[in-house]
Amino acid sequence: MNRQSLTRRLVYVGVLLAMLVPLFLLGQPSADGRGGALTTMRDDYDISEADLGELDPSSEAMKLASFGLRGVAATALWGKTRQFEVQHEWDRHRAAVDQLVKLQPHFDRVWEYQAHNLAYNVSREFDDYRQRYRTVRDGTEFLIDGVRRNDKATRLIWYTGWFYGQKIGVSDEKRQFRKLFADDEVAHQQLLDENINVDSPEARGPDGKPDNWLVGRLWSNFGYDLVDSGVAITRQTPVNFFEQGPKWRMRHAEAIEAEGVLDERAIGAWQAADESWKRFGQRSIPTTANFTIKLDQLDDLKAERLAKYAEFEELVGEDYRAAREQALASAGPQSKRLLASDPEDLNSVERELREKSQLQLFPPPTDFVPSAAPGDRLKAVALATEIEDLGDRIQKTDGHRIQINYVYWKTLAQAEKEDRTVTARRKIYDAEAAYKRADLDRAIELYEEGFDLWAQIFEDYPVLTTDETAIDLYESIGRYQVAIDSEDLSDDFPLADFVDIYNETMGQIPPNLYAETLSRQEDLSSDRTEELRREEDRRRRDADLAVEAGETADPSTGGEDESVEGSDSTVSPEDSEDNGEGSPGVEGSDDASVQTEAPNDSAGDAPMFDSGEESSQPEGVGGTDDSGDPVDDAAGVVDEAEGDATDGTDAPVAAAVGEVNVSESPRD
Amino acid sequence: MTLEPQDFWSYSQWLLRPGEDFLQSAMLQGIVLIILAIVLGLIVGYIVSAARYGPGEGFFAVARATRDLVREDLPRMSPRRILALARLAFKEAIRRKVLIVVGFFAVGLLIAGWFLGTSSGDPARLYISFVLTATNYLILFLALFISTFSIPADIKSKTIYTIVTKPVRATELVLGRMLGFIGVGTMMLAPMALLSWVFVTRGLDHRHEVVDAFEAADGTVTGETDRVRNHSHTFTMAAGEDEALTDVVRGHQHVVRRSVGDDGEAKFTVGKAVGSLKARVPSYGEVTFYDRRGERKSLGIDVGDEALTTGYRTGGIARLVGLAEGGKRMVHGYVEGGTLCYAKFVFDNVTPERYDDPDGIPIDLSLRVYRSWKGDIEKGVRGSMVIKHPDRDIRSEPRPFVVDEYKVDTLIIPRTLEVTSDGETSQADLFETLVSDDGRMEVQLRCIDEAQYLGVTRSAVYLRPGEGTFGANLLKAYGSIWLQMVMVIAFGVMFSTRLTGPVAMVATAACVLLGFAAEQIYDTRSYIDSNIERGGGPIEAMVRLVKQDATTTQLDLDSVTTRVIKGVDAGIVYSLDAIATALPNLPKMVGTAEYVASGFDIFGALLARHATATLGYFLIAFLVAYFLLKSREIAA
Repeated sequence: MNRQSLTRRLVYVGVLLAMLVPLFLLGQPSADGRGGALTTMRDDYDISEADLGELDPSSEAMKLASFGLRGVAATALWGKTRQFEVQHEWDRHRAAVDQLVKLQPHFDRVWEYQAHNLAYNVSREFDDYRQRYRTVRDGTEFLIDGVRRNDKATRLIWYTGWFYGQKIGVSDEKRQFRKLFADDEVAHQQLLDENINVDSPEARGPDGKPDNWLVGRLWSNFGYDLVDSGVAITRQTPVNFFEQGPKWRMRHAEAIEAEGVLDERAIGAWQAADESWKRFGQRSIPTTANFTIKLDQLDDLKAERLAKYAEFEELVGEDYRAAREQALASAGPQSKRLLASDPEDLNSVERELREKSQLQLFPPPTDFVPSAAPGDRLKAVALATEIEDLGDRIQKTDGHRIQINYVYWKTLAQAEKEDRTVTARRKIYDAEAAYKRADLDRAIELYEEGFDLWAQIFEDYPVLTTDETAIDLYESIGRYQVAIDSEDLSDDFPLADFVDIYNETMGQIPPNLYAETLSRQEDLSSDRTEELRREEDRRRRDADLAVEAGETADPSTGGEDESVEGSDSTVSPEDSEDNGEGSPGVEGSDDASVQTEAPNDSAGDAPMFDSGEESSQPEGVGGTDDSGDPVDDAAGVVDEAEGDATDGTDAPVAAAVGEVNVSESPRD
Repeated sequence: MTLEPQDFWSYSQWLLRPGEDFLQSAMLQGIVLIILAIVLGLIVGYIVSAARYGPGEGFFAVARATRDLVREDLPRMSPRRILALARLAFKEAIRRKVLIVVGFFAVGLLIAGWFLGTSSGDPARLYISFVLTATNYLILFLALFISTFSIPADIKSKTIYTIVTKPVRATELVLGRMLGFIGVGTMMLAPMALLSWVFVTRGLDHRHEVVDAFEAADGTVTGETDRVRNHSHTFTMAAGEDEALTDVVRGHQHVVRRSVGDDGEAKFTVGKAVGSLKARVPSYGEVTFYDRRGERKSLGIDVGDEALTTGYRTGGIARLVGLAEGGKRMVHGYVEGGTLCYAKFVFDNVTPERYDDPDGIPIDLSLRVYRSWKGDIEKGVRGSMVIKHPDRDIRSEPRPFVVDEYKVDTLIIPRTLEVTSDGETSQADLFETLVSDDGRMEVQLRCIDEAQYLGVTRSAVYLRPGEGTFGANLLKAYGSIWLQMVMVIAFGVMFSTRLTGPVAMVATAACVLLGFAAEQIYDTRSYIDSNIERGGGPIEAMVRLVKQDATTTQLDLDSVTTRVIKGVDAGIVYSLDAIATALPNLPKMVGTAEYVASGFDIFGALLARHATATLGYFLIAFLVAYFLLKSREIAA
């Protein structure tokens, strides 16, 4: 009996050992690239614990302690978190959430969901806005923990940037939150610990303290660096992933303007935003197709396609030409009329129709490849393929641009960086202040000056009439009517059209009107750029003449040039928004514009002027001096030209920045 | 901590429900349970005996056993023999190395810091909750383990014969085992309680240093401490003073002392944390709500806060037989600002002897806020408190306050205050003017800000006649754990007298789990009774799981199948409900930890209720165990 028992036990042990052998072989550690199959696969796919993120012994201990019932434990904890939330047991809720992520540390949606829940849902349960802020911070810190544990989860990094920007900067309590964040030294230290350089000018707002939008942008840049190093973007469209950083620049500029910073610092912020957006337009963005696109290359692609069509027609000869003529003959009367017209004489809708009609004149090239001479057929095939490929690229690019309203943001940055726009905003801001203190005469005067400027701005940038801030302007007009004690506006009221549209649409611009406005905006923006460039050239000539005539002293010593001492070119590592394949700041037509801009930026007296983009340009950029000298003079000219539009020391810099922007456009 | 209606019951209210429904009383439930246990015990005993000896002899066997119990085994129990048997059980348990559980507990405490959030706003609550819950479950598991395997193991190894051949009565055998295991559990609870106390006090202990101090021209010093454990404090020291208290952060303060250093400079030292471990003794009042027209309502305004869908409480026998509904979980009622709406609290036993603080009566508020519009973001919602004579129109001037949500806000009702009576205002003594002859006092809470709301429950406002000590409170919580252990041991021994070890353990575990799941069973029963779709009983739930149907939709099956499933489910749920109602309410007993964690002295009445229930279940288990043992051949 005992012998049988012993034998049985020995058999058990033998079976156990035999089962351990394959386990060992599969899981043995890797050395010199050789190891167990499981280990090798873990290495190949970068999914070993150490590859996924920071190791957490407590998490491992908890997973082991669940004895294989991790899923059950996690499900129970999810229920607990919900229960504690309903019961407003916030400490316990947080403790349960912390335990939950120890069980599921690499399930990035858990981090995302719970962080969102803390920052957006739990925070609103507190009446004290400071407590709300602390809970938002808790949520954000929680997300940062998630980033630490999942250092390839690009979505979490992007979302952290989203929290810093959107949650702090858009809430009802945004004014209070932004201030609390700016003064939150504990949070700043934690960010520094995460290598988010909140001490750099890249992160500082006009008050010299970290700004939530800019810090959010730094997080976005961190994500862009990661993607540029080869990590894939997950659970998000690339265009959405890449637009955040540049957009946060704009939101920062909007925020400081809303807080009353309406001087050269606002211009600097918008200028940096404009640069960021342009670079975004030049960034290579992966698509679902097997090619990448650049959002700012739509016109180039269209031109290239037309050229290829022409080349194909040349190659194929009569058949294709005949087919085109037949297509023209069978076109409708409207298409014929449009095709016969000069595009300059058409409105934007007609121009678009004309473009479509023009494309319809080109039959599919692949059908005509056999018509080419036998020796040219191979080339014809290549051309037909290229045309098809260009069509795909154009379609993708256009789709992506529509998806993120690319043109609107581009226009916004271009319009807002102008001194004229900032001045207009300041006038209205001051008018509102005067209105509040019942200084009605002054308010009316400022309102009218502001409205005049806004009328000019809307003429050049009609898309701004659909902007959120246009609603504020509409409300200002209402207060102006109160101030002048009249419900009717005069016939020559500069914003009469704007008011009519708003009255008709109740502030809700119809989609077709918006689309129409947007479609003509690009041409108007180009016109405006050209206008500013001519103005700039004129000033330059005047300045040169003045120098030649010896009418002015050496500009480098003349005047109270704050900009020189304010130079803060120490800034910033290379801006990640500019990294990546696109690297437009280094290559492409934007170079020229940047080169003229950088020295002027460094002339600013506020840190905001020194964005990373500018300082990160190639050496040639910094050395460009052709706009360095005339800063003071140009400013003076502008001062004179604009009359009372500028005051104090802000004006020269503002003007200088404004003028330099003129020469930076890629369309120059 | 939000209390439920039955938490406010005194011992006699719980036992008898005087003036209300006796059917819901604990005493009736106990009597029914004892009668049921006796009847069932006799029936089972008769069936077993009849099967063994035939119907006639079986009847006499049962009758003999009953007679033995009454005439011999109960009255002639020998404490000496019980003690000897208890010692035997004790030694046996120790031999099984059960003390290792204390080691597990100690190791658990050592690594607990990994899992307990250091950034919590109230770390004391987390720490205390953790140690008490860990102790509770460990001890219950231990009790389950040691109590169920002992007798079956003795029977299997036949060592029981060495005992039963001695002149030992079955009652002594059962009682000896139970007491022995209780002794083991008690011996283990003592070091666990000590370790818990050390863990909590050491875990919360920390020091700060003053990193920034500024002396104003008038001599007032304001300063800030360094950041330790995710927080820092600020303090203001009045001119001429050398001692000050910091602000309250994470539930505690520090004493800051100023001295002159060797270099002649002022030097600040920060003392240890005080106030983080509290044991408030609350005195609750009755709450009544008045709506915006000033008319009395039973509930406050519901602002649409999400509430847990579960929460039907036991209503004793009355609920089981369908004569009453279990009380729902208590929710916050809100009062609207800028209207006649208010919440009235009437407190009893408000006497100068009970509230002997010369400054006045401390009153704690844990209010919630609901904003129906944004208002001034930077300012908190304001409320006002009026003290009123409960029977006469004499009232104090309103005292405004700003609501500090999710914190206990302590105000003082001054002994001397300005009161208005018959249109005349004067200074008057609180007890003489605003307290009735029978010691009642009324407190009215209003919201000042228009269209904003204050939320209260009965437990949100209380007077604080005194303060207990944390150590004593922790001991009470351990007392509650001890009572639960006694119950589980009694059930374990009871089952082990008839069943094999593993089966006895499963049976005891099933009782414990059913006790813990009682509320869910009550909920399910309630939904079935009210025709509310919430997933149904076990069979319907399984069908829904397989079909991946939501719990709130109608069961997507043909009518006959649906009726059959719902009928069978109803039978199962009703049976489970009866069993769960018969079992001890362990979740309520585990809930005493919440009092300690939230800084409230555990009510004496609550402990007395638990002790009474434990005693009742212990007696039932003892009697059932006696009959079961008698029914075994070995003991016959």
